[in-house]
Amino acid sequence: MTTQTETPLAATVADRDDIAHDLEQLSELATLVSSARDAMSDELVTRVASALSEGITLLDRLTRNEGLMRLLQVLDRPESQHLLIGLSEALGAMSRDIASAPPAKGGIVGILRLAREPGTQEGLRSISLLGQYWSESMRELHRRGSG
Amino acid sequence: MRILVVGGGCGGTILANNLARRLAGEIRARKARITMLSASDQHMYQPGLLYVAFGQMMPDELYRDQASLLESNIEFHVDPVEEFQLDQDQVRTESGKIHQYDVLVIATGSRIVPEEVPGLTEGAETFYTEESAVKMFKALREFQGGKLAIVVGVPHKCPIAPVEVTFSLHDYFKTRGIRDKVKMKYHYPINRIHTIENVAKWTKPEFDRIGVEYETLFNVKEVDVKNKVVKSEEGTETEYDLLISIPPHRGMEVIEKNKLGQGGWIPTDRHQLTMEGRDNIYVLGDTTNLPVSKTGSAAHFEAEVVADNIASIVKIGAPVREYDGKVYCFIEAGHDRATYAMFNYQNPPDLKSPNKSMHWFKMAYNKMYWTSVRGLL
Repeated sequence: MTTQTETPLAATVADRDDIAHDLEQLSELATLVSSARDAMSDELVTRVASALSEGITLLDRLTRNEGLMRLLQVLDRPESQHLLIGLSEALGAMSRDIASAPPAKGGIVGILRLAREPGTQEGLRSISLLGQYWSESMRELHRRGSG
Repeated sequence: MRILVVGGGCGGTILANNLARRLAGEIRARKARITMLSASDQHMYQPGLLYVAFGQMMPDELYRDQASLLESNIEFHVDPVEEFQLDQDQVRTESGKIHQYDVLVIATGSRIVPEEVPGLTEGAETFYTEESAVKMFKALREFQGGKLAIVVGVPHKCPIAPVEVTFSLHDYFKTRGIRDKVKMKYHYPINRIHTIENVAKWTKPEFDRIGVEYETLFNVKEVDVKNKVVKSEEGTETEYDLLISIPPHRGMEVIEKNKLGQGGWIPTDRHQLTMEGRDNIYVLGDTTNLPVSKTGSAAHFEAEVVADNIASIVKIGAPVREYDGKVYCFIEAGHDRATYAMFNYQNPPDLKSPNKSMHWFKMAYNKMYWTSVRGLL
């Protein structure tokens, strides 16, 4: 019997504590909202609305830009990312080499020496292939009507 | 399909942008073309003029380049129409160029005609143009107290303007600490203080609370500028030290000159928004003779319906929507509080108590307008 009478009482006290806690949280929230309202001003609302308005416009333009969307799809491919990383590293290495190497002397002998380098030949081959694929891609874009 | 939009205001711009998005594929495939002819390369946010009159906005905040608001696939020309040759499906512009169309949208707007009331131009301040709004602000700054009368011409753009300007005047003088020196009297042309019954019911106790007198059935006949008296058609008169007017409006002159509609308002089908007797001509915003408010919001909702219908005609050969007369108006009620009125052909507005959140919504909308006019909101 004792247990039966004590359990509902304990539950009521616990419920009351929960309600008090909830009310305290609601009161805190109300204070926060009230404080935010007091801190707001016409100027602040106008500035936020202005930024939001321009942001929406920008987002709209970007998401409806077919070229940009296609570019993002291309960049999403691992090989495109590897290519960009490789290109970035090559540019860095080139920049360091140019900075440390003495100025070129010029003349036909210098050009011939450079042409004998395997790296130069690979570079020329890469540029040639780039030109070939780039032209094909441009023709395809124009054919689709978005070039 | 050649779609010609005449007028680059709120309705024309929303319509053209909305249509340009819906018909992007057809325009790219050269199956559709959208051309806009406007009288100006600038677009003005007209509701901002009220804020200019109270020094709360600078005039340059109200303008954007019209071209910057339009989708890139819209051909835009600053070359207003002079002659509508409807039987030949073409218009002639000021430069003499002929534009042919398959679908024509007329959204030329309205203009103030204070000159229709003798003495109103010289005797009253108003805020319906940039120049007049700045002049009104300067007059308010110089005003140190006395009798202030507010008079309303008909028809006029923005039905809420008379009420809003009255609340704003009350707030302005209160902030300056001279409200007790200003005796404000509001005059309205019909037998209640606002044309929309529920707005009238809501406004009356608000005016009583802030101490604004009112006289109804006061149709402005003339302003005796010398003696500072405004007289009504009904035979009453009011003395004033400062007179604020909502001037009467007409549709644009080009509409009247081309005999498209009496007073410059084109007879328009209330649901299809086509010009009466012409299925390939749509009319938008202030230019219609519809029994709805002449406001940007009406033009906005109408533009959405017309854009939907023109796009569906291009795609499936038939219109799909009807306009239900929807209008949404913010009402600034003073003390940084606002409410709104939303109504359509069937349902009158049910006004809620004004509050600060609605005021901020209005403040925010003043900037969000540019997103709205691009057809995004």
